[in-house]
Amino acid sequence: MKIPLSWIKDFVDVDVDVQTLCDKMVAIGLEIEDVAYLGENVTNVKVCQIKEISQHPNAERLLCCKVDIGGEIIPIVTNDHRVKVQDKVPVALHGAKLANGLHISKGKMRGEESWGMFCGAEELGINGDMYPNADTDGVLVLSDDAAVGADIRGEVGIDDYVLDISVTANRQDCNSVLGLAREVAAALGKTVREPNVEYTEGDAKTNDLVKVDVLAKDICKGYFMQGVTDVKVGKSPVWLTSRLAKVGLHGINNLVDITNYVLYEIGQPMHAFDYADISGKKIIVRRAFDGEKVVPLDGKEYTLNDNDLVIADSDRAVGLAGIMGGANSGIKAETNCVLFESASFARMNIRRTGHRLGLRSDSSARFEKGIETYTNNLGLSRALHLVEQLGCGKVTKGRISIGEIAQNRIIKFDKRRIAKLLGIRIPDEKILSILHLLNIETTIDGNEVTCSVPPYRDDIGRDCDIVEELIRVYGYDNIKGTLMEKSHITCGGKTEEEQIIDGIKNVLCGLRYNECVFYPFAGKALYEKASTEPIDEREYIKIVNPIGEELSLMNRSLAPNMLQCVSMNLSRNNKNLRLYEVGKVYIADKLPLESLPDEQKRLSVCATDIDFDEFRRDVLQTVRSVTDGKIKLTRSDNAALHPGISADIAVEGVKVGHFGKIHPQVAANFDIQTDCMYAEIYLDKLLKLVRKEIEYRSFPKFPSVSRDFAFLCDEDIAAQDVLDEFLNLPLVESAELFDVYRGERLGAGKKSLAITVVFRDKNKTLKDDEIEKQCAKVLRVIKEKYGVALREQ
Amino acid sequence: MTIAEIQNSFDAEIANCESLSQLQELKVKYLGKSGALTALLKSIKDLAPEERPTFGAKVNELRKRMEDTFALKADELATKEMTRRLREERVDISLTSCPDRGALHPVTLIENRICNLMIAMGFEVLSGPEIETDYYNFQALNIPYDHPARDMQDTFYITDRYLLRTQTSAMQARVMERKKPPLKIICPGKVFRSDNDASHSPVFHQIEGLVVDKNITLCDLKGTLEYIAANLFGPQTKVRFRPSFFPFTEPSVEVDLTCSNCGGKGCSLCKETGWIEVLGAGMVNPYVLENCGIDSNKYSGYAFGIGVERVAMIKYGIPDIRLFYENDQRFLKQFGK
Repeated sequence: MKIPLSWIKDFVDVDVDVQTLCDKMVAIGLEIEDVAYLGENVTNVKVCQIKEISQHPNAERLLCCKVDIGGEIIPIVTNDHRVKVQDKVPVALHGAKLANGLHISKGKMRGEESWGMFCGAEELGINGDMYPNADTDGVLVLSDDAAVGADIRGEVGIDDYVLDISVTANRQDCNSVLGLAREVAAALGKTVREPNVEYTEGDAKTNDLVKVDVLAKDICKGYFMQGVTDVKVGKSPVWLTSRLAKVGLHGINNLVDITNYVLYEIGQPMHAFDYADISGKKIIVRRAFDGEKVVPLDGKEYTLNDNDLVIADSDRAVGLAGIMGGANSGIKAETNCVLFESASFARMNIRRTGHRLGLRSDSSARFEKGIETYTNNLGLSRALHLVEQLGCGKVTKGRISIGEIAQNRIIKFDKRRIAKLLGIRIPDEKILSILHLLNIETTIDGNEVTCSVPPYRDDIGRDCDIVEELIRVYGYDNIKGTLMEKSHITCGGKTEEEQIIDGIKNVLCGLRYNECVFYPFAGKALYEKASTEPIDEREYIKIVNPIGEELSLMNRSLAPNMLQCVSMNLSRNNKNLRLYEVGKVYIADKLPLESLPDEQKRLSVCATDIDFDEFRRDVLQTVRSVTDGKIKLTRSDNAALHPGISADIAVEGVKVGHFGKIHPQVAANFDIQTDCMYAEIYLDKLLKLVRKEIEYRSFPKFPSVSRDFAFLCDEDIAAQDVLDEFLNLPLVESAELFDVYRGERLGAGKKSLAITVVFRDKNKTLKDDEIEKQCAKVLRVIKEKYGVALREQ
Repeated sequence: MTIAEIQNSFDAEIANCESLSQLQELKVKYLGKSGALTALLKSIKDLAPEERPTFGAKVNELRKRMEDTFALKADELATKEMTRRLREERVDISLTSCPDRGALHPVTLIENRICNLMIAMGFEVLSGPEIETDYYNFQALNIPYDHPARDMQDTFYITDRYLLRTQTSAMQARVMERKKPPLKIICPGKVFRSDNDASHSPVFHQIEGLVVDKNITLCDLKGTLEYIAANLFGPQTKVRFRPSFFPFTEPSVEVDLTCSNCGGKGCSLCKETGWIEVLGAGMVNPYVLENCGIDSNKYSGYAFGIGVERVAMIKYGIPDIRLFYENDQRFLKQFGK
């Protein structure tokens, strides 16, 4: 929040420069977002007094003035004919800089010397809220008591800093000038001057004016009301509106300005009702009826329900409690009696109503953070003091107080707790002096610390809160690093699953693939692009308040984001893409969610400028690094992949993924014009098939025998089926395809598979006839099963 | 041929011999089964018996000399041959390009680095669900429904009860319900907030650290963070605590490190302050411990949450968080060197 330093100085003496002040505020926990000097753009402008005025000899519309700038008389030419001798006005001297960007220099105007320029309000960056008459055009006439020769910034109130302070969510008390002043006092070791809350009550009794009935006590902890009669609605003095201007508010009228002033100064949102609009002399604080309508100050109609709190008279709701007053009961020029409300509304209630209606205000922002009844009472008194100070009416007698006024709370704890949490000891006298600075009166008796915490510090509830107060003022620089010397030794490490995933990443990096990280969500349009089948949005876990529709559905496949990334990379001329991601898909048992969904880890691998076989080897090598189970590849019907150039991978009969060339339609959707291979591995499944412990096997003692075969077969015969027939034999150690040949000689739709089979018996040297016997059996089987025959030489 | 003739012819031929194969031929010619020396020895039967021993000795002497000469010559030729071979066998060895190894994503690099440090200190690495309950993400962390701290984080909701976790702190209560102190854990993972600009991404990574044991103090938190900072940014890195607020820690601190760019002197990266804010931390709020059935009088703890991208951006000089999620291969490859 933005607060002028001058306002803080009402309550505490600041005897350090603004930078030091800010450093000290940061050190105790107030983050300074920005420091703005209001006079930054107005330099070398002084208060001068006009001593002589004469007509410009060469220009009818100009006047030549002689002005006193504090012991020196200088000539100024002006075109403002309203200036009079003895007027005090701002004059921008040679080298001056003005708020509207003008730079002033000495010169001659139509032959007459002019050593500067008189300024209007706009050139000083001020308006009528900040200085009397500053709303009028032309040269600004200053007040009679302005000191001739003085820097104009002091005179018009812009010799001031506005601090933009970010207050943590627990310190609602610091959303006010007074609260910040208390912190500044603690930081500087000063005492706070409490705000003046004195006023004299008139004869009219508050109780005669109005009865207050709080029906919703559960969401209205305190309600305080007092009236003002003989109201004179008018303009507020400039000292008040100037402060409001510096926090970004306009002056409206004295009574409304007072409520705004108290909101910023004390942190208490106030409301002023025009008494004439309160029907039945009654204020009722109640839950709204279902469907009840209210029109607050913004003029729009809102429909309420019984979770909303309203302020009503005997007929109708006159305001949305804590959020906005009603349009029907606001202060008008003719208002002559006013009721001031200062209350404490449940923050959850204000928050929910505000969020539901999309209605927020300075008041509701504070109520949402919680305001206690001590501040309710203080704020109301301060407002009444200001009423008296501004002479805008007579305060009624007696205050309607519903709810208890919060008192100091006592917290007792063991002093050793401080060192136990902080790891350092703070001397007793330091403890006492720090807490005293924070208005937490404290005694220490042996190890027992007793603290009396002021009611506005409702963030302090127990020992650790006091410890925090101590250390933030004592200084965090006193904390010296240690490495848990007094704690137990524990065994650390990653889970086995994480270690395996690290291993997979290592393998893929070794295969030259680069790791990607994507958002785990996307939009329906992207999911549709990545599939040749329609997408049923209802199957997806959906974010109800996404940044955009394109970021709203949780992954059910890693392909969409990966393919989008490939498409982007290709559009930037990146070639030979080798990408992978370890991500998750989110599968719900039931939608809308009734329990946490299954978050399944997956691996996506994608490559361009690669053929199927090379990609297949990369994928299999990755899978192989995890498991030694039997792998089987079968044709895949995955909707993102080319049906003829894709496979499902099963390990020990469990499907653990699919891979292949992306479907031409999908490729077209993503404008991918090069060969692109994609694999998705279901890590959750694969991780259950991890290799068992490794067991050493001695090398074979007997030699192996290898035989090559060339088979002629139909194009669609799977080579692995043929190899498997060999591998099923007990004496076959390995069987591998080493060449595939196609050619006219073989005939259309035919291919030749060249296979090497290695035979070995671990107990003896194999003899040819044994091998022949085995081979003959296999050849017969594959001929029967697949129609595959040895090629005629 | 006489001995002398043989010797002369041998000496002449061996002098002209230039290859091992030639040498082999000479060996056969002179020492072979049908070689000159064998023929000479066969002629011994033509001599008178008393001459035979002298002749034999001479022939043997010659044989010995020849064998020695062959051996020497063989060595000489082998050396020559090797020299020739080494002179002739040459490749251009100047090319320096090689296939790049694939790279880990910078998020993983930082995560791994921090995890490894923490593992060495006895921390267990755990991960939790990204779709979380309101309870673990907020309530168990002392952030009830109406708490203004909820405004600190714009939350993505799935339903009233389920949401995308806004912080890895959501793992705190999950772990503490299951395991009892002493506890040293870190939880790296994705977190989600409804925010999107050059320094905010709706998805980013955090590493939560949590220690609960007897005698854990704020000094231990500082020491741990100093250890991490020194390892990530160099031993001269200093750690500064500033007071802050998190509902689940008390006291709570923002943690600044001396700017790794300027070493603390002030530069544009640290906005001339010499410090860079990198994480939030604090002593575990006793409410959180008690919520999980841990006696807050006996045990204390600290917790911290490191923004992984933030650390990576500082460490590698990455200017825009969106680069992490764009996955331009030219970006990715830079982290594989």
